[in-house]
Amino acid sequence: MRVPAATFIVVLAGAGALAASAGGPARLEPYNAQRHRQVLADNRGKVVLFDFWATWCAPCRAEMPRLIQLARRLRGERFRLITVSADEPEEKQQALEFLQQYGAPEPAFIKDVDDDDAFINAINTDWSGALPALFLYDRNGKLAKMWIGETKISEIERAIRGLLGQ
Amino acid sequence: MKRITLGSILAALFACSALFAGGLKVGDTVPDFTLKSVDGNDVRYSSLAGDVTVVTFIATRCPVSNAYNERMKAIYADYHAKGVKFVFVNSNKQEDAAEVKEHAQKHGFQFAVYKDPGNVVADLFGAQVTPEAYVIKGGKIVYHGRIDDSQKGDVKDPSLRKALDAVLAGRPIEKPETKAFGCTIKRVS
Repeated sequence: MRVPAATFIVVLAGAGALAASAGGPARLEPYNAQRHRQVLADNRGKVVLFDFWATWCAPCRAEMPRLIQLARRLRGERFRLITVSADEPEEKQQALEFLQQYGAPEPAFIKDVDDDDAFINAINTDWSGALPALFLYDRNGKLAKMWIGETKISEIERAIRGLLGQ
Repeated sequence: MKRITLGSILAALFACSALFAGGLKVGDTVPDFTLKSVDGNDVRYSSLAGDVTVVTFIATRCPVSNAYNERMKAIYADYHAKGVKFVFVNSNKQEDAAEVKEHAQKHGFQFAVYKDPGNVVADLFGAQVTPEAYVIKGGKIVYHGRIDDSQKGDVKDPSLRKALDAVLAGRPIEKPETKAFGCTIKRVS
């Protein structure tokens, strides 16, 4: 069967669309416990999913594009995806480029703390620090769900839609 | 038909209760458990433990765990000489015994690393991350958490060393619970 060249172009364009689209965040903003409280307060009235990730974390890198696609499916809803990199300062540029590659939403953050132990506990005392870690908050800023490790996107989407009343 | 003994029921109930309670905590008594050597032999924890024992969950593929390989070797050398026993455990489902053996040889570990089939021991402890350490003194957990505060080696707080120094000197541990970023332990589903 002959496949027209135009088909290849369309397929290639489709495959590259996610990577090339949107451009992603222009920079990573510093994040600490105080900023976390502020971000939660600023997003009161919205369902918020925090994704704590790192460039060294293979499951995080695998999950990130799927989370970004999920956020796009929910565009127009009262939903926000907030990414927080747990990378060290040396990996900041690498983390930014990764988010830009997939067009992650702005603002995007990177931890800027003196003590990881205190930061992890400030986010959630039940969290060990294992990545990836997802925290889903309802419209009142109350923690509704926490996932540690690889998680099915369908499960995450179901929980978000449940909080959105869908 | 396989016979079910009272002991196996109690062991299963204990394992379930530990899992549902989030695992063992500082102050809890560590029950005996079984690991597998990389050659496939059952090894009882009680045969490896001493008065002071460090149980550390590690990985072959986790960049954070690997960043600690040389530091783990140094801690082992320093504290094994002081009578501390070490039990290194790999609970990751995708890292088999052959991989664990090769990894240990490649990095020149002077200690054995044991497999934890079905992540039973990780569930017992409630271990979530690699690397993650537990110090056990007189059968009870006295420290749980990170090796130190820096993946990169720019260490300000050598948490595990401080805990061991305190235990060996008979002093209370300043901070018996600490956390650090690391890889999740990949469990069987």
